[in-house]
Amino acid sequence: MSSSLISPSELDYIIRGVDDNLRADGRGRLDYREVILETGLIFQANGSARCRLSKGTDVLVGVKVEIGSIEIDGTDEEVAAVKAKRGRVVCNVECSPIASQQFAGRGADDINNELTQLVDRVLNGPQGGLNLEKLCIIPGEECWVVYIDALVLDYGGNILDLIFMTIRAALYNTRVPKTVIEEDKEVEISDDVEEWERIEGWELVPISITLNKIGTRHIVDATVLEELATKAKLSVMVNKNGKICGIQKIGGGSIEHGLLNEMMQTGRSIGQNLILNLDKMLQKEDEINAERAKNDKIGFFAAA
Amino acid sequence: MSRHEPIGPQGLRQDGRRADQLRNINCKPSVLSQSDGSSYIEQGYTKCLAAVYGPRETRQKAQILHNKALITVEISLAPFSMSERKKRKKFDKRLLEIASAVKQTFEPIIMTNLFPRSQIDIFLQILQYDGGMTQICINAATLALIDAGIPMLEYVCACSAGIVEDTTILDLNNSEESLGIPELTVALLPQSQKVTLLQLETRLHVDKLESVTAMAIKGAKEVYKKLDKTSRDYIGDLLQKSNPT
Repeated sequence: MSSSLISPSELDYIIRGVDDNLRADGRGRLDYREVILETGLIFQANGSARCRLSKGTDVLVGVKVEIGSIEIDGTDEEVAAVKAKRGRVVCNVECSPIASQQFAGRGADDINNELTQLVDRVLNGPQGGLNLEKLCIIPGEECWVVYIDALVLDYGGNILDLIFMTIRAALYNTRVPKTVIEEDKEVEISDDVEEWERIEGWELVPISITLNKIGTRHIVDATVLEELATKAKLSVMVNKNGKICGIQKIGGGSIEHGLLNEMMQTGRSIGQNLILNLDKMLQKEDEINAERAKNDKIGFFAAA
Repeated sequence: MSRHEPIGPQGLRQDGRRADQLRNINCKPSVLSQSDGSSYIEQGYTKCLAAVYGPRETRQKAQILHNKALITVEISLAPFSMSERKKRKKFDKRLLEIASAVKQTFEPIIMTNLFPRSQIDIFLQILQYDGGMTQICINAATLALIDAGIPMLEYVCACSAGIVEDTTILDLNNSEESLGIPELTVALLPQSQKVTLLQLETRLHVDKLESVTAMAIKGAKEVYKKLDKTSRDYIGDLLQKSNPT
């Protein structure tokens, strides 16, 4: 495919630039692009957010919460007892063909599946941060199911990191309706929006930092061309407390053992800083949203 | 009168519009980085992104047309775009049908004979849906094709209209569509005043057809004004940026 070709001279330029700590867009090896964040853009969803990395990658996430039945599979009683008291998170990642020509037709099937599985695994386990027990309505019968749908709108490299960031922002924006259980086990949903609550534990939802090994060094937040020059990728999932919640090595190349440790540590510290910055932006977003509501300004490209 | 009546006692519709009023249109060309041309358009709460790739080499040899360019259209619907979450398959029949209507609308307008043996791809992504799928797809594609610099004979602008009792209404939203109001979608070539797409999926009395069509055409002309102004403003900005003196 034409989009995934890189010339030897371009490759050489990128590798040397990384070596000199100066990348094509002026960043150093460990500098992130500017993150542009918007929340609450989709009124049909319980929560939504859109993040953009300067003028490149763009991800939109919609979160919907719906009442579903608790599914207990497997015969292990202990597992079943835990599952009976829990809600569920269902993740889905889709790369739209508008983002890049390589996603046209069935071209995105593999990457969609890979990303969906990864995100689902991280968010559904104990490391995911969300308090799933709070999502249970009637133990063993009904619970809230949180559907997280991420849509990649523009492809400028580093989609995985941005997907996690956007999901976290969308969960911050999500409100779950209050429920009252009536005598005959009918679930009544409160219409009072003021009473709706955030999902507990959203702040502990991890984000991912992907480190790209180029030459003998590694960089964060790679652009499309830099990704083509990447030998191996390591994605480190970090939460607010600096705990590592998952590691995934992606790509064909290999990473030396010594470098692996270094990359993990870099990922962890960058991730923690990034979360702090994102949280500051999210707090501001509440004020901005109030302002937008006053001006009746609805629109995706109001911020960018 | 109940609140489910499409037109209230003051002659206003459920969302506060007059009968002949379009929803608010906001649009912007050139919003994506990877495509050759792109656009974003929102009409009320229906929001759509379009990307155009090409003209470029045809991807499948069997599809090559030796005298003109091949046009493909693909529409995707975000899972959170409707009030009920639904994961649509990529090859949903309804979406395929609309995609082929869009394709047929553009085939005679794009000067495909200039690019033999090549391909032009139009991708449409609905982010939020509140009625008027076909019309927003056509309008978004027009703007994206202009942004991609693909030669076209003229604009294509689409709009829908319906009729409630004896009042014709313009640009139906989803709740009006679901009331079973007959809806007619028209795509207009505003300069030559020709209609290139006409779609009516419910029953409508012949006597009313003319007034509904006239209303849809009137709407399409308004859409044209908006699209034309947006692209002229955008090109003007670009010129100013490249030539500051």
